[in-house]
Amino acid sequence: MNKKIKWSLIGTLLFSLVFGGIAIAQTKLVFPVHWTDYQLEGMYDEEENLVEKGLKQYVEEYMRLNPDIEIEIQSVAFEQYLQKILVAHMSGMSPDIFQIYALWGVSLVDSGVLDVPPADVIEDVRANYTPSAVIGTTIDGQIWGFPTEVDNYALVYNKELLGEAGFTEPPATWAELVEMAPKLTKYDAEGNITQYGFAFLSGWESAVVHPFLSLLWSNGGEFLSEDYKECLVNSEEGIGALEAELELFRKGGTDAAGSVWEFPNGTVAMMIMAPWYESSLKVGLQEKYEDVVGVAPIPILKEKVNAQYTWFACVGSGSKHKEEAWDFLRWFCSEVQPATNTTRQGDLMAGNVGALPPRKIDMENQETLGDLYTQTFIEELEYARSEPNIFQGAEIKIILMNEIVKTWNAQKTAKQALDDAVKQINEILAEFY
Amino acid sequence: MVKKQVRRRKRRKSKQALIGYLFLSPVFLFYSIFLVFPISFSLYLSFHRWNMLTPPLKARYVAVKHFTYLLVQDETFLIVLKNTLFYALGTVFIGMILALIVALAFSRTKYSSIWRFVYFAPVVTPPVAIGMIWGYLYRPTDGLINTVLRWFHLPGQQWLSSPAQALPSIMITGIWAGVGFTMLIFIAGLKGIPEMYYDAARIDGANFWQGFWHITLPLLKPTILFVLVTGMIGAWQVFDLVFMMSSGGIDTGVVPFESVGVVALHMYQTAFRYMRMGRASAMAFILFLVVLAFTLIELRVLHRGGVESY
Amino acid sequence: MFLPFLWLILASLQSEREIMLRPMVFIPEVFQWQNYVILFKKYPLDKYYFNSFLVNSSITGVVLLTSSLAGYSLGKLSFPGRELIFKGILATMMFPVFLFLIPVYYLLKRVPLVGGNDIWGLGGVGFLHSYPALILPFVVNAWGIFLMRQFIIGIPNELLDAARIDGCSEFRIYGNIILPLTRPALATLGIFIFIQQWNSFLWPLIITTSAPKIMTLPVGLQLLRVAFASARNQHYFLAGLVVGIVPMVILFLVLQRYYIKGIVMTGLKG
Repeated sequence: MNKKIKWSLIGTLLFSLVFGGIAIAQTKLVFPVHWTDYQLEGMYDEEENLVEKGLKQYVEEYMRLNPDIEIEIQSVAFEQYLQKILVAHMSGMSPDIFQIYALWGVSLVDSGVLDVPPADVIEDVRANYTPSAVIGTTIDGQIWGFPTEVDNYALVYNKELLGEAGFTEPPATWAELVEMAPKLTKYDAEGNITQYGFAFLSGWESAVVHPFLSLLWSNGGEFLSEDYKECLVNSEEGIGALEAELELFRKGGTDAAGSVWEFPNGTVAMMIMAPWYESSLKVGLQEKYEDVVGVAPIPILKEKVNAQYTWFACVGSGSKHKEEAWDFLRWFCSEVQPATNTTRQGDLMAGNVGALPPRKIDMENQETLGDLYTQTFIEELEYARSEPNIFQGAEIKIILMNEIVKTWNAQKTAKQALDDAVKQINEILAEFY
Repeated sequence: MVKKQVRRRKRRKSKQALIGYLFLSPVFLFYSIFLVFPISFSLYLSFHRWNMLTPPLKARYVAVKHFTYLLVQDETFLIVLKNTLFYALGTVFIGMILALIVALAFSRTKYSSIWRFVYFAPVVTPPVAIGMIWGYLYRPTDGLINTVLRWFHLPGQQWLSSPAQALPSIMITGIWAGVGFTMLIFIAGLKGIPEMYYDAARIDGANFWQGFWHITLPLLKPTILFVLVTGMIGAWQVFDLVFMMSSGGIDTGVVPFESVGVVALHMYQTAFRYMRMGRASAMAFILFLVVLAFTLIELRVLHRGGVESY
Repeated sequence: MFLPFLWLILASLQSEREIMLRPMVFIPEVFQWQNYVILFKKYPLDKYYFNSFLVNSSITGVVLLTSSLAGYSLGKLSFPGRELIFKGILATMMFPVFLFLIPVYYLLKRVPLVGGNDIWGLGGVGFLHSYPALILPFVVNAWGIFLMRQFIIGIPNELLDAARIDGCSEFRIYGNIILPLTRPALATLGIFIFIQQWNSFLWPLIITTSAPKIMTLPVGLQLLRVAFASARNQHYFLAGLVVGIVPMVILFLVLQRYYIKGIVMTGLKG
């Protein structure tokens, strides 16, 4: 053969071996998340400077440190996250790393979809995370991953609107809330509400059920019996809690069309909200953020209690790169950065998403947690109660949500709705417990 | 001599039959893979309980429990059936009447091209986008629709935020989205009616209405049947639009599921939120029987008129 | 009728401040054309367009072939069981799409020797993360067969008989007589199918959520909503919707002529 051709062939062969080899040696980790927009891309100011890192920046950093690893972030709408896990699992192409809501975990664990964490991870979680988060991540007596987020609820209000109406303090009891809300509600000539004294969080089951649970527990009621065999929301306390919500409707403090997403537009005075809304508020209100936003504990019925739920990061049992996946999670969730004494995941949570990082060291050292928004949520964590990790959690909550929403729309009385809910929920519980 | 011809004809006939099957072979192949297997598999699932996380062959056998549950115990299922029936009847019949009116109007005007485009634009728009756009339009406080109503000193409505109005609102959107399509089919049908029938009628002294009742409608029956059957089949299965306009896309206040839930939505939720794939499959089979029943009724009712079997 | 689109276009041209005003404004002060530029920078809409076009054209092409073949067979050739087969094909339209979702998903996963699968179809993902997953389940369309049959029935038998006497095989009849004569119907069918598949959402959602590379436009639009979720980014989102809709509308305008002519001649009148 012609010498030139021979050498160029050998060269090509070597070239492809080297780069092909690198390409083959590169491990790919798939990581779906329900985060969006700036939570992934990072937050920028007016001059396009990066102000707060998003998940993308952290992943890129990890890939620079570990050139043989490629991590692909897939952004999935929250409503479709569970569906995606199910479908991906069926195809045998489970993502490697999940960030899931603990309630989904129950069925996933039961069906063996999650990988049991290495012993050091379990130890780390047990020792270094707040107790309620550890409970949230425990299913069937086993810890399944790094808690990445705990969320509870508090009253978020518009200081300006309250001031305009002559209020200097947010309501401390529910009775006060019921009195204040109508005074903060404005109507147009036709009788449509243009400014809401109060708006209920709605749109998915947790949104409606969690605030209700907070009130239920605050009123001394219980959601489920200890053995999970029975649903107890139609007790007197339960009906009382729902009636408390309905008082707001009756006295004209809100109606069924109210939407908390209008808060940044200045048309909602008070709402029960979770920590993850912080960045949206900042982005939506811009310079007015500090003047407008106020946070206080949920106005109580009898006791101080608020609902809490947990998200955790874990590895799929179908993953072909479990070691590498857990390595990334260790770097992201567990490794403490000496400069700030925080974890990277904690930074993302506290600084960008605005949720509460459950690691003790993050809770102590994240500066942003002491800010005007998150501070109260952290304080309220002391009184937080984790929602139960039960089978068919989504279905049960959806049933409860539907019944509650019917009462908001005045289609049923509180007692009817809760009785109906209990009937359906008990049937489901009977299937599993 | 005759025998040879007969034999030749027979050979031609069997050759034709062979070709006939041959030309249909891609279809047969397709259906054996993409129809027979899926339906059998789904039928299997409808008799089992499966959460999609375990291998399907290990699913627990529950016989006809899903079916009895759905038809007897599940209030939600009956409610969504009712909703879907309402949706189907409303969108198909109103849509059909509107489309016919518009088609009649256009068959007599000259500027049809532009208007045809205007009416057809919604048809080429993904339901996802339609749902989101109309979500904005329906906003009670500042949506375009209420704003226009108020210009005319009419009260604004709650639309998607009201349990009573939510489904009709979605239906209006559905009709808007589909009328162009139906209209075009009617235009074609109308064009196929020979002008001489009308001429003859006019000579006999008939006016427009008589022409319409005695010529247009009867001769349009096949087209109407086609529109009715395909429209109903589609309407019973509506998903994209309702999904977008009830929870998938918009940020208005929320209505209970029972106010807007349609069967396809309930199936989706049962499968992917509740992880009850078996029950969802059973639901789908019940839906199939419902649609089949309706189609047979429509064929029966409109078969009178001596048209070729559709 | 046109108002919703008008609103959409106007809203997409608003500035960030305007889009957040309550009550909403309808006409922006200054038309922010750069919204579109920024949109394209942030978001790969062109990829979704390409995918949608590729997938839909493929489906349409094959459907035209299978429908015309079947339509000819069911319309002009005689063989035992013909009417029953036809009614059966019609009946398939009545099965809810839902029944097919998961089983077809499994089928695509288990195709042997593809996508990392061995000869038993195990071990890999089959066709799941590639274009065939979006194309194959749709290459035969009962509606299309129905339409073609109706039209082909209208072709005079004498033409075909004459050709047969001349010794033409059925294949040649199909290619040289049927296909040219049914051009309007084929054009019509092509457009119908293309549009129907263009808007398809649920199936691409299921497939492409794990395979973003082949994501089609409707799913991309949904993701757009998630990507531009915050209240201040709504104008980008609406611009995305416009980009998603306008090209198809223009395409239809252009092809209108064939389309209308085609419908007129499909013999739907009976």
